[in-house]
Amino acid sequence: MSYAVETENLTKAFNGFIAVNGVSIRVRRGSIFGLLGPNGAGKSTFLRMICTLLRPTAGRAIVEGHDVVREPNEVRKAIGVVQEKLLLYPVLTAQENLELFGRLYGVPESEMRHKVRELLEEVKLWGFRDKPVGTFSSGMRQRLNIVRALMHDPRLVILDEPTNALDPQSVRWVRDYVKKLKERGLTVIVTTHDMHEAEELSEDLAIMDRGHVLEVGPVQELKSKYNAHTVEDVFLKLTGRELRDELSGRISAKGWR
Amino acid sequence: MASGISHTLLIAKKDLTEFYRVKPRLVTMIVFPIVLMLLFGYMFPSSGAVNHVPIAVVVQDQSPQGMQLADRFVYLAQSSGLLDVTTTDSVSWAQQQLVLNNVYAIVIFHQGIGTQLSSGGGTVEVILDQLNPTLDSAVKGEIEQIFSQMDAPASPSALNVVFQGLIPGTTGSFEFLAPGVIAMTAIIGGLSGLAMTFSRERELGTLDGLLMAPISRLSIIFGKGLAQIVRGAVSSVIVFVISVLLFDVKVYGNPLLMILVLFEGILAFTGMGMLATSFVSDQESAQLIMLMIQFPMIFLSGALFPLLQLPWWLRMISYILPLTYVVSAFRAEMVLNAPFSAIAPEVYGLAIFTVVVFALAVPMFQRAVTK
Repeated sequence: MSYAVETENLTKAFNGFIAVNGVSIRVRRGSIFGLLGPNGAGKSTFLRMICTLLRPTAGRAIVEGHDVVREPNEVRKAIGVVQEKLLLYPVLTAQENLELFGRLYGVPESEMRHKVRELLEEVKLWGFRDKPVGTFSSGMRQRLNIVRALMHDPRLVILDEPTNALDPQSVRWVRDYVKKLKERGLTVIVTTHDMHEAEELSEDLAIMDRGHVLEVGPVQELKSKYNAHTVEDVFLKLTGRELRDELSGRISAKGWR
Repeated sequence: MASGISHTLLIAKKDLTEFYRVKPRLVTMIVFPIVLMLLFGYMFPSSGAVNHVPIAVVVQDQSPQGMQLADRFVYLAQSSGLLDVTTTDSVSWAQQQLVLNNVYAIVIFHQGIGTQLSSGGGTVEVILDQLNPTLDSAVKGEIEQIFSQMDAPASPSALNVVFQGLIPGTTGSFEFLAPGVIAMTAIIGGLSGLAMTFSRERELGTLDGLLMAPISRLSIIFGKGLAQIVRGAVSSVIVFVISVLLFDVKVYGNPLLMILVLFEGILAFTGMGMLATSFVSDQESAQLIMLMIQFPMIFLSGALFPLLQLPWWLRMISYILPLTYVVSAFRAEMVLNAPFSAIAPEVYGLAIFTVVVFALAVPMFQRAVTK
């Protein structure tokens, strides 16, 4: 069995606070892997280490056969990341955004035009290619944001809450598109707070809380193990029903961070 | 290497495109230097309370009469309270000090003036600092008054005092102001622009997009720095053109040396901007920090008025500000056509400063984005 992602005791501490504590998971190639957890569970920190944005404090992570610390550029070439925040420049047009990232990822100029057109047509934005992204609706932006991550043909796609704050039509589109990515042979890691979405999309699940992985395995196995009808039941059994009223983050000069 | 350069250019182009597309930013870039020039051009104060203005007295005549004349002048000058005298026998050394703004006038007692006085007359040459007409006029008035009070060994009528400058013709406020504003405009872009673009990308989340691309972090840093250098250069050119066309500023300096000093300044301040950016994560904080650095620097660097107008303790602060050296070297070059040797300490000093700032800024910035 080959794995797209393998981590061993992956740990990240910030000034003594351990955000991710000894996480060891394996993500099967060609599968959709759901990463669930309440706010502050450590999902985003875990993903930022996988994406080479954060350096692990301890442990190791191998992504598509490359160590995230020793071969970060090889990891970066292999992955496409869709973050909760849009990785798009609002004043650039849709086409300019895709071309910029295509060039940064080394897409040959001879393929660029064809690639941009193919992706924009796929997400029904070819007609808006010359419009600044700042003028797009949330759904249009997210569609573009997703294909931006595919410009360099990654083998692993990481989606961090891809349907957050989208209308039902856009949510449906995103979910269907994630399934298409799997059909094309890509590996997908998706985080979400929507348990129905996790159930619909994921083949394997990891449930994190307070920096630890509480459970990991195929969805059906987890449901059987916890005698649960839904992923939501499994999640609540593992993480509890109490509200998480914890202070987190910092206040910036602008107010919210 | 080649891909590093192309990525650098790509990021610079992207940043400039973003800058161009946001009209308020573009308008600010054009309007700010215009407003600044018009405002200070018409409102620059016509007088200032100054004292202890350093001047150089060159004594080339070692005859008893010549020495006595010079000593008498020095005594009266020191007693005036307005002037502080340094004596020397080298005209070239004194001229270099004048170009560097270390002295504001040179009084030359030429070889043979003692003998000329015995024959009933003699000429004393005074070379004035031409960078600030207000100061020029105060120093000139004081020197004239001192010579009019001379009683021995020469009567006032026996002495012919000739005033002149290092460059031909008369100079106005703008000869002083324009180089300062040009240098200031250039560095503001480097200092605040970089911090703003990084913090904006951090807030938007787009910085992650760049950091996750398989390119060198240095390409991101230098690409963004390059965009700021282009902005600073465009702003400087606008101020320069306005100075020449609207305010009749004469440019005497070597263009290559002027560009060198300005480029060093922009580079040094881009490095400082990068260093400051390592400590902030949002635009608002970046703005506040930059304001705190910029505001005193603008007023204490000598860009807008002579440092001599500052109290001594503020002047001490001005001597540790890099902008002070950019302004003094650029002004000396642009207005007084200073030779390279005269501005070499500033040029080398800024180069060392820039290297040190970048040596600190690059790793700190890298650490800040990959905690």
